[in-house]
Amino acid sequence: MNNMTTEHNTHFGFKTVAESEKAKKVADVFHSVASKYDLMNDVMSAGMHRGWKRFAVSISGVDRGDKVLDIAGGSGDLSKLFAQKVGAEGQVILTDINASMLGVGRDRMLDAGLNVPALQCDAEKLPFPDNYFDCVIVAFGLRNMTHKDRALAEMQRVLKVGGRLLVLEFSKVWQPLSKAYDVYSFKLLPLMGKLLAKDAESYQYLAESIRMHPDQETLKQMMIEAGLSKVDYYNLSAGVVALHKGYKT
Amino acid sequence: MLKQLSTHIIQHLLAQNEWTAPMLQPFASQSVQLNFVLLKTSLVILENGSLSIAGETNLPDATITIPPSLLLRLIAKDESAKLQIKVDGDTHLATVLAKVLSHVRWDYEDDLSKLTGDVSASKIGEFTRQTASTVKDTATNLAEMLSEYWQEEKPLLAKKRHVEKFNTEVDTLRADVERMEKRLNKLTKKVSSTSDLNNPVS
Repeated sequence: MNNMTTEHNTHFGFKTVAESEKAKKVADVFHSVASKYDLMNDVMSAGMHRGWKRFAVSISGVDRGDKVLDIAGGSGDLSKLFAQKVGAEGQVILTDINASMLGVGRDRMLDAGLNVPALQCDAEKLPFPDNYFDCVIVAFGLRNMTHKDRALAEMQRVLKVGGRLLVLEFSKVWQPLSKAYDVYSFKLLPLMGKLLAKDAESYQYLAESIRMHPDQETLKQMMIEAGLSKVDYYNLSAGVVALHKGYKT
Repeated sequence: MLKQLSTHIIQHLLAQNEWTAPMLQPFASQSVQLNFVLLKTSLVILENGSLSIAGETNLPDATITIPPSLLLRLIAKDESAKLQIKVDGDTHLATVLAKVLSHVRWDYEDDLSKLTGDVSASKIGEFTRQTASTVKDTATNLAEMLSEYWQEEKPLLAKKRHVEKFNTEVDTLRADVERMEKRLNKLTKKVSSTSDLNNPVS
């Protein structure tokens, strides 16, 4: 009986919650931070998140005319970069499960004069046909998904043969820096959230969810199990963030 | 950080050399490891025909190893030195990548023009080329002058024809010694077989 209960539970930061509750709780966090998400990202990462995203685009191999799916794309940073790469003959689709975040991204695409459709959908049930995209990317979104394995399998499904899945996500930091990183995550981050976004709890969750996310090797294995091959990863900023890349063959 | 920067530089160079993309595209997703003295890095071919530095767990499809002793000969564009570069794995892939890397040229005028404008960039480029050409010519003249002095006036260096003659003599001697060795072996065998016949074991 206990086993059955455990099977239906999942992590929400360091807390254990019912699977059905996680999506709602994550949604509440992102509704709360949406308006100041980019400001906080810049403050929290000292602007490095822009470099990490540019690097992801540079190793994607995306060319003019390609089709790209940006999952959990939120404020649309990556969609914007990819839209410039694929040109008018290509296609970039921005998706997010959270309406508040997607709204920010959609408005930003419109302001930049980019034709990027914004679609609210669950990454575990992607509303796209099989073998459709040349590249699928999920940046800082996978750790918030309730069933990561299902989401990865869906991403693999919608990729063409030869297509690439890129996962940019917080990861396990280089051991000598782990103490300093803990202090930053659990003391400074909630404080910055409180001062800048008036929301310490949401940023406490962000720090906790990073710690609960699989490390580099585990995520690599998960991608292989989802049917991707030639999976490799890059440690960025001493492993604070890892960029995984896998191919559908 | 280093990987990000290196990838950016490589991709910038390849973007300036558009002829490279069609050559590399057929090998998309494959990777090559380059071993050169302390430098050991892997490059991955991307689907758009560009290159990136490989990640932490990449398994290369080919390996190119350049011994340190070849460095000077490669700089001097000695074609025979290229034959001594060691290639393992997919040799076709490695050969194509080596060809691309050896023919890529940095169009520094193009980069400079974004900072200074086209005219200034062109003038600076012209000045740099002229300076480089003058330095190269002066260095060649100086080397030839010293070489002549040490060969003719105060012989310290051997002349090319003398070295070639010496090499030919060494080759002839080596061949003679090998022939003599074979003849000796033949005679030794003959002598031992004759002694066996004279002293048969009962």
